[in-house]
Amino acid sequence: MTSERRTNDFLVGASVIVVTVVLIIAVLWVRQADLGGKTRHVVVRTREVGGVALGNPVVIRGVRAGQVEGIALGERGWVVLKLGIDRTVSLPADPVALIVAASLFGEWQVNVADATGVPPDRDLRAALVEAHTTGDTLAGAVLPDIAQLTSVAGRIAGDVAKVSDRVQVAFDDNAAKELRESIRNFAQLSSELARTVQAQSKNLDRISTDVKQGLQSVNAAAENLNHFSSRVDSATSRGELQQIVGNSQIAARDLVQATAALRKLTDDVNGTQAKLSAAVSRADSVFSKMNSGQGTFGRMVNDPRLYQNSDSLVSELRALVADVKKNPRRYINVRVF
Amino acid sequence: MVGVDVAPLSRTESSRVVHLVSALGKAVREGISSIGSGAQFVFDVIRATRDTASWMPMFTLHARTLGVGSLPIGIFIAIFTGIVLALLASYSVGDIVPPYFVGTLVQKTVTLELAPVLTGLALAGRVGANIAAELGTMRVTEQIDALETLTFDPISYLVVPRVFASTLMFPIVVGVAMLIGVTSGWLAAIGLLDVTTPQFLKGVRIFFADFDVRYGLVKAASFGAAVSLIGCRAGLTTTGGAQGVGRNATRAVVISAVMILVLDAFWAVIWLTGRTLK
Repeated sequence: MTSERRTNDFLVGASVIVVTVVLIIAVLWVRQADLGGKTRHVVVRTREVGGVALGNPVVIRGVRAGQVEGIALGERGWVVLKLGIDRTVSLPADPVALIVAASLFGEWQVNVADATGVPPDRDLRAALVEAHTTGDTLAGAVLPDIAQLTSVAGRIAGDVAKVSDRVQVAFDDNAAKELRESIRNFAQLSSELARTVQAQSKNLDRISTDVKQGLQSVNAAAENLNHFSSRVDSATSRGELQQIVGNSQIAARDLVQATAALRKLTDDVNGTQAKLSAAVSRADSVFSKMNSGQGTFGRMVNDPRLYQNSDSLVSELRALVADVKKNPRRYINVRVF
Repeated sequence: MVGVDVAPLSRTESSRVVHLVSALGKAVREGISSIGSGAQFVFDVIRATRDTASWMPMFTLHARTLGVGSLPIGIFIAIFTGIVLALLASYSVGDIVPPYFVGTLVQKTVTLELAPVLTGLALAGRVGANIAAELGTMRVTEQIDALETLTFDPISYLVVPRVFASTLMFPIVVGVAMLIGVTSGWLAAIGLLDVTTPQFLKGVRIFFADFDVRYGLVKAASFGAAVSLIGCRAGLTTTGGAQGVGRNATRAVVISAVMILVLDAFWAVIWLTGRTLK
């Protein structure tokens, strides 16, 4: 009885111990528990975690380097992720944590990448900047998962379809023909413009050369003026300037007289111009009447029958003169007594 | 006001209605009575656990009989469950999902549901019938009366060690079934399906949580307690000789199986409602 009981005790005890130990080992193995202290922990601060769950992989440059070991709500609306990463793996120089959907089937992962390699998404970068903090805590942000992307893409596709419908309505065959014509005209215009520019560029070169020469002349004139000024300065001491000023006064007086004469001449010209203008207007009136066929001149100018009659008259006169020359006796009959 | 003529019930019809109402009342009374007596029985068992001198020496004997002796059947069920699950997973999802989901499906299904429930049902037949038949035979052969005459408490001497042994050993058997089930599913996946070991392990690890194992083991313990309590009560209430033993053994198995499913739903409602993987 005692032996049997001992056997029972042993069998039951052994069964319980073996099964318990094997079960615990299996659970630890499946969970990839850190039994040898090979894992270091990194804390990530982010506004949200998307679909990340405990045990999801942590990936560095596409290679699994650890797993998510803790998710907790932090202060002031932050979420704190605790990542267990293999000690032998070195983090990027300026690491950030991107929480991304690993597949279409609800699997998520935390991608630890260098801040310079973050996708050029304005919202993502803003989220990372907001989550950035001093110390060992990494900044984290969630990349939109495929459902969000699909929804945005669907919205964009809808907008594009709407725009294409509107373009189709507005851009019919006539519009296309006109547009083609406009493009052809524009091509011609642009080629002419190119030719013009090419031609004008030579003129422009010449003008610029002239301007350059003009500037040189102005410089020379300025130099002469400068020289003249210095001579004026030296001349004032010998009374030459007084003489020049006096001559200038005489010249100015003559110039005033000439101006008055010129004004009188201008007034005479103005009168003559007025008379001329009146004569021209009258002539214009006459010509207008002539043009419209009024009066004798008008009829003469505008009526072809007069010419035809005149021409006929001249022809008949010529025939008469020829006939007179030929048969003078018929017309001239001289009788003496 | 329209008058309605109601014909009076005949004597036969009256007696039939009275009989029906009486039957209903009897059923309610018996149901309440059985619940009350069952609760009383559980209370007696709990009270009898203080008498460790009576049940402790018998514990390992029953643990070996009910637990260690049930390991082969648990392993056998788990092997085929794992194989079938791997093939079913591959058949059901095909190329729609990545192949590593075979691992996920096998792990989750075996750990959370099939290992505890299938093993529990198998052990309900083996352990429940065993206990009911053994105690029923003792009851009809007046061995229990003799124990009472010798001032042994039959509950502390016969019931408590069986209940403890069953409650402790069911999780052990189910734990083995979990290990074997996932392993056989893994071997079936790499042997019969186009799934590699890394893919299968990836699927197992992606959605694995300690809770899965705890949930399965707690369910198994509750199944063990229920099966042993039902078997013991059926055995102790046996009357009518060998026929009564057979009848009560059958009833113990049926009630145990039903109770396992009820408890399965109970634990699902308690632990899985509103719970997600996160």
